[in-house]
Amino acid sequence: MSTETWAIARFTVLMALVATALTLPPAIAAGWLLARRSFPGKALVETIVSLPLVLPPVATGLLLLWLFGRRSPVGQALDAIGIEVVFTWKAVVIAMMVVSFPLVARSVRSGIEQVDRRYEDLAATLGAGPFRILRTMTLPLASRGIVAGAILGFSRALGEFGATIMVAGAIPGRTQTLAVGIYTYVETGREEAAWGLVLLSALLAFGAIYASNRLVEARHA
Amino acid sequence: MIALTIDVTLRQQSFELQVRDTSSVEVLGLFGPSGSGKTSLLEVMAGIRTPDAGEVVVDGRVLFSSSAGINLPARDRHIGYVPQDSLLFPHLDVSGNIDYGVRHGRAEGAHRSTLIDILDLPDLLKRRVQKLSGGERQRVAIARALMTQPAVLLLDEPLAGVDRARRDRIVPYLLRIRRELHVPLIYVTHDESELNAVADRVLQLETGRVVKAGPPER
Amino acid sequence: MTKLDAIVTLMRRLPIGVALAVVVSAAVAAQSPGLVVSVAASIHDALVEIAGLYRAASGVTVAVNTGSSNTLARQIVEGAPVGLFLSADELQMDVVEKAGRLVPGTRTRLLANELVVVVPADAPASLTLAAVLDGRVARLAMGETASVPAGVYGRRWLEHEGAWARLQPKVIPFPTVRAVLSAVEAGRVDAGIVYRTDARESRARVVGTVPAKDHAYLNIVQPAAVIAGPAEAEARRFLQFLQGPAARAVFMRRGFGAP
Repeated sequence: MSTETWAIARFTVLMALVATALTLPPAIAAGWLLARRSFPGKALVETIVSLPLVLPPVATGLLLLWLFGRRSPVGQALDAIGIEVVFTWKAVVIAMMVVSFPLVARSVRSGIEQVDRRYEDLAATLGAGPFRILRTMTLPLASRGIVAGAILGFSRALGEFGATIMVAGAIPGRTQTLAVGIYTYVETGREEAAWGLVLLSALLAFGAIYASNRLVEARHA
Repeated sequence: MIALTIDVTLRQQSFELQVRDTSSVEVLGLFGPSGSGKTSLLEVMAGIRTPDAGEVVVDGRVLFSSSAGINLPARDRHIGYVPQDSLLFPHLDVSGNIDYGVRHGRAEGAHRSTLIDILDLPDLLKRRVQKLSGGERQRVAIARALMTQPAVLLLDEPLAGVDRARRDRIVPYLLRIRRELHVPLIYVTHDESELNAVADRVLQLETGRVVKAGPPER
Repeated sequence: MTKLDAIVTLMRRLPIGVALAVVVSAAVAAQSPGLVVSVAASIHDALVEIAGLYRAASGVTVAVNTGSSNTLARQIVEGAPVGLFLSADELQMDVVEKAGRLVPGTRTRLLANELVVVVPADAPASLTLAAVLDGRVARLAMGETASVPAGVYGRRWLEHEGAWARLQPKVIPFPTVRAVLSAVEAGRVDAGIVYRTDARESRARVVGTVPAKDHAYLNIVQPAAVIAGPAEAEARRFLQFLQGPAARAVFMRRGFGAP
């Protein structure tokens, strides 16, 4: 396997790790809100959170391309402070975050829903405020759901293609991920190189799924 | 001695809980069949459940009053609560459970030693809570609640998870708490005989109503 | 330590993980932007080779972004930091020009191409160009005939030959020319219409060429243009290099013609 193949794999794993780390805090917040709070418009928020799950990734990519492009206020504001997103590694991370967010948030939510609320109530009688309860009761007791969500989100980020190619392009050494690399190699007739990437993707996917299954087993043990 | 005013109306699915009682007691016993509203009443006092109307006053401190619009959150009530199934935090060890309610930990070292001594816990501190027997779980849950130095301790069927042979060993712990720590208790059970040894006033509940109030029949 | 403990420990360290991730990202971010060239998939290989020559000659590294021409055009219209665009056809270049993203006067007719009809290597000798046009195939692969350049040209040619009506129901549309070629190579279709340059290194057999000089209406030109932006000057220099003798030789060797 060529050094180029390894470089693409390393880059993809690094980007997926960064994306997962950055997705977790907002996904935990969203999962907690949906599991533990009722508020007006909750159904709407639920739908929006799940939207990237059902929207074709290419459509997500087109939306992101528009959002961070020079024609939207967001793109213009970022441009004004010298931050370029489209066609950079940041676009790769953002595309990964958007598509994996629903998976992480859903997993966190079901993890939190499985936490017996009476633990939280009891912690309150011991003088704990809402934030301490969240930090010391809810999240640790939901940790398997959170970790499973992180692994799921990481796996989804590894395989992200449609949104990435729209907003990050397919630039070798700069934005090219495993999935985009496979597509580009096939498109340009480099089938053997494509198979190398396919093999690596399969190995990574295998590892992530194996880890998450082990985790589920531990939950049932 | 603690002065208690309990005047609670709580609409449940199957019946309406309506309890009115004013007393000055060391140990108030609540007894009645399961489903008579005993646990609901404890949860109302602890601040876990909000009643539909009424008021709860402990030693002059208004915890809840529908007419005055007061509803103190659970964390500000200083009421210790030991649920029937102990509800020890599964991700913490025994020490972690006992110390959960302590946030500043400074002057409370002596109190902690006393509790560990009274409840006979020194050998359990490093244990995982999953490895404890029913009686041990109760003692840890009691210590956890008492660490916060509550104004009153609510005990929900403290002997329910303990087999007959060991029951007689829990009661002395409760008596020592009452005698040495002077913590007033509200003691819930479905077995009136348990109250004879500890309570100085007993309320008998049936489907949400007090059907009898007075000293225990010894 | 049990698994649960391990997970709880992991959770406590989460903030450290996030901080680490940000530091790592910052390190990745240190790449310089440089010149990005968006190039249609069919020209990709030639351009990578020429980019190598260019780096040897000038020391400038060119980043090559590739995809289907309409995706590339959409990215540029939305402000992707591209310096130079090599489109598979004039249509997508028109899209970019209408959006006001071209540097006026830099649009160049860079390359010319021709359509060929290919069949699987093991197809019977009786499957000739005439047989294909006669409709003696069950499945004909083409680029999507409304948006993919090779598909648009192919349909125009078939219409001109009076064969479109009988072949239309047999057309299997594909998103790119490369996908058409793969389908033919694998024998999943009976014939396909691709560019001459794609067929050159393929296992598929060419049964007929549509000579550009006989079909002026096809006018298969693959244009290049400089995109407005900070990399304009660098892009102009590279475009000049693409029109020079060294680059021209690479294009010729790979089957591209001059318009």
